Amino acid sequence: MSHAPGPVTPTWLGVVAHLHVTARAFLPMRPQEAITLIAGRGIEGDRYMLGIEEGFYSAKPEEGRQVTLFEAEALEAIRRDHGIELLPEEHRRNVTTRGVPLTHLVGRRFRLGACLLEATRLSVPCRHIEEILEKPVFDPMINRSGLNCRILEGGVVRVGDAVRPA
Amino acid sequence: MRLIRTVVREAVAAGPGIRRLVLMDPEGWPLPRQKPGAHIDLHPPDGLVRAYSLCGDPAQQDRYVVAVKREEAGRGGSLWLHDALEVGAEIGVSLPRCTFPLAPDATRHVFIAGGIGVTPFLSMAAALERAGGNYVLHLLHRGALPLPGHLPRHAVLHDTSAAPRPALADLLGAPAPGLHAYCCGPNGLIEAFEAATRDWPSGQAHVEHFVPPPLPPDPEARPFTLVLARSGASAELPAGAPLLPAIKALGGEVEASCEGGICGACKVRWLEGPPLHRDRVLQPEARREYLMACVAGCAGPRLVLDL
Repeated sequence: MSHAPGPVTPTWLGVVAHLHVTARAFLPMRPQEAITLIAGRGIEGDRYMLGIEEGFYSAKPEEGRQVTLFEAEALEAIRRDHGIELLPEEHRRNVTTRGVPLTHLVGRRFRLGACLLEATRLSVPCRHIEEILEKPVFDPMINRSGLNCRILEGGVVRVGDAVRPA
Repeated sequence: MRLIRTVVREAVAAGPGIRRLVLMDPEGWPLPRQKPGAHIDLHPPDGLVRAYSLCGDPAQQDRYVVAVKREEAGRGGSLWLHDALEVGAEIGVSLPRCTFPLAPDATRHVFIAGGIGVTPFLSMAAALERAGGNYVLHLLHRGALPLPGHLPRHAVLHDTSAAPRPALADLLGAPAPGLHAYCCGPNGLIEAFEAATRDWPSGQAHVEHFVPPPLPPDPEARPFTLVLARSGASAELPAGAPLLPAIKALGGEVEASCEGGICGACKVRWLEGPPLHRDRVLQPEARREYLMACVAGCAGPRLVLDL
């Protein structure tokens, strides 16, 4: 048995575990079975949809923040390492993934269901999440606070859809 | 500073000089959650920020209910909320803060309220009714009742215009394990409550001021260096100098509301001190980490804040 020479391309295959949107800064995130992504703008009904923004950071517009993702594994790590129960509706990102190495995707393109995303930067936690939740999650979320993306190809994303490299 | 957008959906007279406001998201979305006993700041357009206890049922997540007493001699915020704010108008509010929570380990709660000071107990009683908790509300009032029609089932009314004020020790009974007492009202009532509970076990008697008590100068205050750790900015301050303007002058951002050490808006983490805590809201354990910038000072040569 022999191995073919040449570089090895690591791969992964993940899934959409939860979807959330909210209309305005501070308001509780609402669970959704499906969300509609609009290329170049954002998510229908979400606070960071470009053109009708009402998010906490909307005074600092950011073209690469059309949809945000968070790892379910990070929620489990925060519970394990800090004893804090952070729920999928509490991290305030739109998409909770399982099996997706989000921190490795900055600058890359990948498929969220049928949509095509480009990761622009890692998200950073915000102090106001501690005010909203009354949980000391700011420090535990540093370096595992999710991913900001722009939407290259839009469409409907459902819970259970695959997430895979483009 | 970002605020929560709300619209006035109801504004109804509810007792002597009291206007009860129901605030909702413009499209009726659920609002950030509220704990029993919490309060919010209302931000009228004239910049006069005022804190009000939430007095609705915390389980009704689509609304914040506040009751505003008309204060002719106040700072003016209540007059605007009475005379200028109309149903359908928008008003910005802060996130709810709870500086007056129900004790989670209590088996019985005794509430002592003076007049409009009944408001935090209405949300607490609603939560206890839902959970089957054991409570009694003693409401001391002069003549006409505040918020008639909104008072909880286990309310005992004491009209002090018809009879002398009852002795608080009689209303409270003897301290016992699991018994927690709470008081909200004018400073005179709070002083009487603090006297009546002086010998109670630590942590079983709780007060909420709705008018900041006057603060005498602190004899331990001395000149100090104020340092904002994140920017490294610093300033030399004379003894007793107020922190809030100094923090702002150094480019630090702190929200403030009552500016009298009772509402909890300007809570800041301190890293080096020790601070002089002159607030009426932080528990001893919380003071080891936080101070209230509106009233705190410094007992040492340097005060370093996590800003």
